[in-house]
Amino acid sequence: MTSAAATGLSDADFTRFCDYFYKRTGIHFTASKRYFVDKRIDACIRNSRYDTFASWFAALRTADRGDMVQDLINQLTVNETYFLREDYQFDAMLSTVLPNVLAARGGVGRMTGPVKILSLPCSTGEEPYSIALRLLEEWDQIDHVDVEIHGADIDSDVLAKAAHASYGERSVQRVPKTWLSKYFVAVGSGRYQVDEGIRSAVTLHRVNICDTASMRAFRDFDVVFCRNVLIYFDELSSRRAAENLYGAMRPGGYLFLGHSESMSRISPIFTPTRLPEGLVYQRPSGAK
Amino acid sequence: MGLVRKQAPQQPEEVLPEPPDTGTLLSQLDDPDPDCRREAALGLVDVAEAVPELLARVGTEEDPRVLESILTTLAARDTEEVAGGLAVHLASDEAVLRTAVAAALATMPQSVPALLPNLLAAPDHDVRVMTAMVLADLPHPEAHTWLVKMICEDPHPNVVTGAIDALLPSATAEDAQLLRDAVERFPDDPFLRFTVNAALPRLTGTA
Repeated sequence: MTSAAATGLSDADFTRFCDYFYKRTGIHFTASKRYFVDKRIDACIRNSRYDTFASWFAALRTADRGDMVQDLINQLTVNETYFLREDYQFDAMLSTVLPNVLAARGGVGRMTGPVKILSLPCSTGEEPYSIALRLLEEWDQIDHVDVEIHGADIDSDVLAKAAHASYGERSVQRVPKTWLSKYFVAVGSGRYQVDEGIRSAVTLHRVNICDTASMRAFRDFDVVFCRNVLIYFDELSSRRAAENLYGAMRPGGYLFLGHSESMSRISPIFTPTRLPEGLVYQRPSGAK
Repeated sequence: MGLVRKQAPQQPEEVLPEPPDTGTLLSQLDDPDPDCRREAALGLVDVAEAVPELLARVGTEEDPRVLESILTTLAARDTEEVAGGLAVHLASDEAVLRTAVAAALATMPQSVPALLPNLLAAPDHDVRVMTAMVLADLPHPEAHTWLVKMICEDPHPNVVTGAIDALLPSATAEDAQLLRDAVERFPDDPFLRFTVNAALPRLTGTA
């Protein structure tokens, strides 16, 4: 059965569905994503007890079925990533950002509370674990400072995978062999699992970045990686996400976006800062 | 020292404080701490009765980050009441305010079209320039058509230049003659001529 045959989505259905999904998540699909959306909806219908788009969509909207909504979100969010992706930003974190954070917070030995780093969206965990690896292997202050690493995502399936932390060879191909043997356990079939010590150090959360109420739980982060997600949002959702990220950060905190993303097109509330390794955004330190 | 796990609770919803009620949020809009005002404005996103109060703050809030949060909350409603309340500030003498309002209106495709007849006929040509800024980013299928109308019909060269600037990111070779005609309408305006001459080679494939 083809996806089109299974979903039977008309253009009007597609528009109604996209409006609904946008209101739930802030993620906006244009007609150019029609094939992708059709296929994912088809999978959701197969996972449900409904056999047509109309009955499935009606249940989704009216029955307040959290499991169906989460399945839908899981199907429609993109989670492709790998270890040490865009690692020039990790270079910037180690060489410039963290020294600045320590200085701004009074210096090693005088600061209160840990350095807090957030990876949002963290997808299947490659990013927060990459941060952990780079800190453990390359940051000379790691033995003198407490660091909390948090990963968050809207997709419960990827969070479960992040918690299990088992990866194929393609995902770990950029990890140096010495790190692979030191921090991973070969679990067969060419897969490697991050060792328990690092897994237990990363705290995972499910959250919608556009949901101001639930994002209020995230506070005082010194460094936030929010890469390659704002490009999926329309202008208003991007603004809301930017506001929520601002609220999650400590004054003077640093925000890394994906290399093709620009906060200047979204909101003026952050201050762009040019580092040797590229552009980063800061919550102004003068603001509380 | 080293990597430490956050001492639970693990799930954010477990540590979420009870959100303030609407009355508290409205009173916090007067708090001397701008961060408190900012969070109050964001917290009022689904509160319809807060709209008049938030609209009243748009012209008086002095902290640009609080103003942004107020506009983000208001823009999420995308109603004619909100759009109309915001559009009056396109005539503001304060550049930060009118630019922020234009950016907010550009995220309101449901309600901005109803305002366009008045905005496109505004006697203050600066308001019409700001309207071109709104149309530049407005996600609406007719945005291109409205900009073409401004380029063809507006009597002020600054407005036409603004509309050309707004049109250029989505312009094609089919728009080239439109731009040449605009230069013909305002032959003594060097900035408009410069804008068009700089854009034509890309549009016509002669760059």
